[in-house]
Amino acid sequence: MDEDASNPFRRMSSRTRKVASKMAAALASSDNRTQAALARLEALENDNGVIEAVEINDDDEASLDDDDQVYMQKKQSKSMKRKTRQAKALEARKAPRTFIELLHEANLESWPPHVPSYIRAAVGPPSSTSRRHFCAVCGSAANYSCVRCGTRFCSCRCQNIHNDTRCLKFVA
Amino acid sequence: MQSNVVVLDNGGGLIKVGLGGERDPSTIIPNCLYRPLSSKKWLHPSPTSSDDPLDLTSASVRRPIDRGYLINPDLQRDIWSHLFSSLHIPPSQSSLLLTEPLFTLPSIQRATDELVFEDFNFSALYVADSPSLAHLYEASLRPTGIVSKAQCSLVVDCGFSFTHAAPVFQNFTINYAAKRIDLGGKALTNYLKELVSYRAVNVMDETFLMDDVKEKLCFVSLDVPRDLKIARKSGKDNLFRCTYVLPDGVTHTKGYVKNPDEAQRYLTLTSGDQPAQNKELDELQVTETPKDRKKTDLTKNEFDLTNERFLVPEMIFHPADLGMNQAGLAECIVRAVNSCHPHLHPVLYESIILTGGSTLFPRFAERIERELRPIVPDCYQVKITTQEDPILGVWRGGSLLASSPDFEAMCVTKSEYEELGSARCRRRFFH
Ligand SMILES: [Zn+2]
Ligand SMILES: [Zn+2]
Repeated sequence: MDEDASNPFRRMSSRTRKVASKMAAALASSDNRTQAALARLEALENDNGVIEAVEINDDDEASLDDDDQVYMQKKQSKSMKRKTRQAKALEARKAPRTFIELLHEANLESWPPHVPSYIRAAVGPPSSTSRRHFCAVCGSAANYSCVRCGTRFCSCRCQNIHNDTRCLKFVA
Repeated sequence: MQSNVVVLDNGGGLIKVGLGGERDPSTIIPNCLYRPLSSKKWLHPSPTSSDDPLDLTSASVRRPIDRGYLINPDLQRDIWSHLFSSLHIPPSQSSLLLTEPLFTLPSIQRATDELVFEDFNFSALYVADSPSLAHLYEASLRPTGIVSKAQCSLVVDCGFSFTHAAPVFQNFTINYAAKRIDLGGKALTNYLKELVSYRAVNVMDETFLMDDVKEKLCFVSLDVPRDLKIARKSGKDNLFRCTYVLPDGVTHTKGYVKNPDEAQRYLTLTSGDQPAQNKELDELQVTETPKDRKKTDLTKNEFDLTNERFLVPEMIFHPADLGMNQAGLAECIVRAVNSCHPHLHPVLYESIILTGGSTLFPRFAERIERELRPIVPDCYQVKITTQEDPILGVWRGGSLLASSPDFEAMCVTKSEYEELGSARCRRRFFH
């Protein structure tokens, strides 16, 4: 497609993961169980890997941007108007906007109560409190939970595996 | 002047695009760019060749859509422009029927309009939501059926990003009654990645591979406690155990199910309510020995699945299992119905339509019916229709609408947009 203009080391480092800022916040929090649970749900919406991939060194990240620039300019070098939009877009890419950020900006709470909105359409909490639990290690019904992170497990065997390999995985 | 209508169902997972009036879209491609290990560039999925020769092992992916909504218009522009040029679609000589999720934020609507009119120069735009299009298509299939006669249905759209239960009345979605669960196919694939990575092989980077595993092997359980017991059995008694072979990058670049017959054995289980069988299972229950469950081995080129096969789709029915504070699908449906006028309740329960790729899991409809029946008043019938092709149903509804005689009058033209701006034009689509 385009000629290569990128850093040859990108391929290697893009596989490595850096702790994203919200993960760092979770780590600092005293309430690990809540934070770990939230981080876990967040992770289910990620496109790549479990923890949002953040390029580990800054040069590397810059090369990714250059890459995109080459790509974008090819597509849209036609008009001034697009150039300004492109400039805006590049700026925006430096601080990528998530849907949650856009949602926050939209300030839906200020809408009159009869207007349907994203927030009001959420189904809401389940009515019955009978929550079922499955072991995070083997998937069986789980009656115990880890005191540090709240992850469920069914037996000593699974607890040990959990402690050895994954406790607080979503936080650290 | 006859102008072509481009029908574009712009999903978070897949783009379905084609011309109004056709039965099927010209192409279906993932709505993303990806970067395979063999490439230093972000590449477009090929819209023409169905058997993609690219090895997508450990490919990274960038998507313009987050949680169902368009958050990266620049990336979307790249994807659309590549798509339109490979399909020889001239936007400036076409109208566009575009799907947009319910409750799209005004800022995202504005960005979408800019994309359509300023970047692509489409001559006119109509924005539709998925439930009304799915309804339209089902009504057209059965002109004498209840969906068509009552002009009313309850559309359950379980797609890539989220799940909606949305009542449709007189062909318009009743948006104040629509309810959403924040779970769709993407979260399910990610959950499957998590489970397999915990238990067998690290597949956290294998989005495309795990999509395939999910599509080929996951199903909805009709009796979770029973199935959990069966999943713990060893040998042939474990009806769920099956093996998926990872690509080796040499002889095969895609993974596959090792023994498809073995993978289908779960279909011999039918009803969930068999007390006798349950008792028998209790007695027979063999606790799994450590050697049954193979230990993590990164050099292994295959992995086994057992209870993951049904625990993954189970999320949609019990999001609380995962720690999400949201009701499951059956309750979601009831809440959507209850938000409508009581006169509509019986008709809505009798005309539930399932659409979206995540409704393709075997036994999805059966499970909803099982969960709904006890919580829906006895005097109402519960009738669930799975769309013949849940991935294409919305597009086909759009294609019908685009070929209707009223379509042109429903659109906003480019000059109206230029004169009135995005917000004023949008009011025309306000249902
Ligand atoms: Zn366990
Ligand atoms: Zn723990």
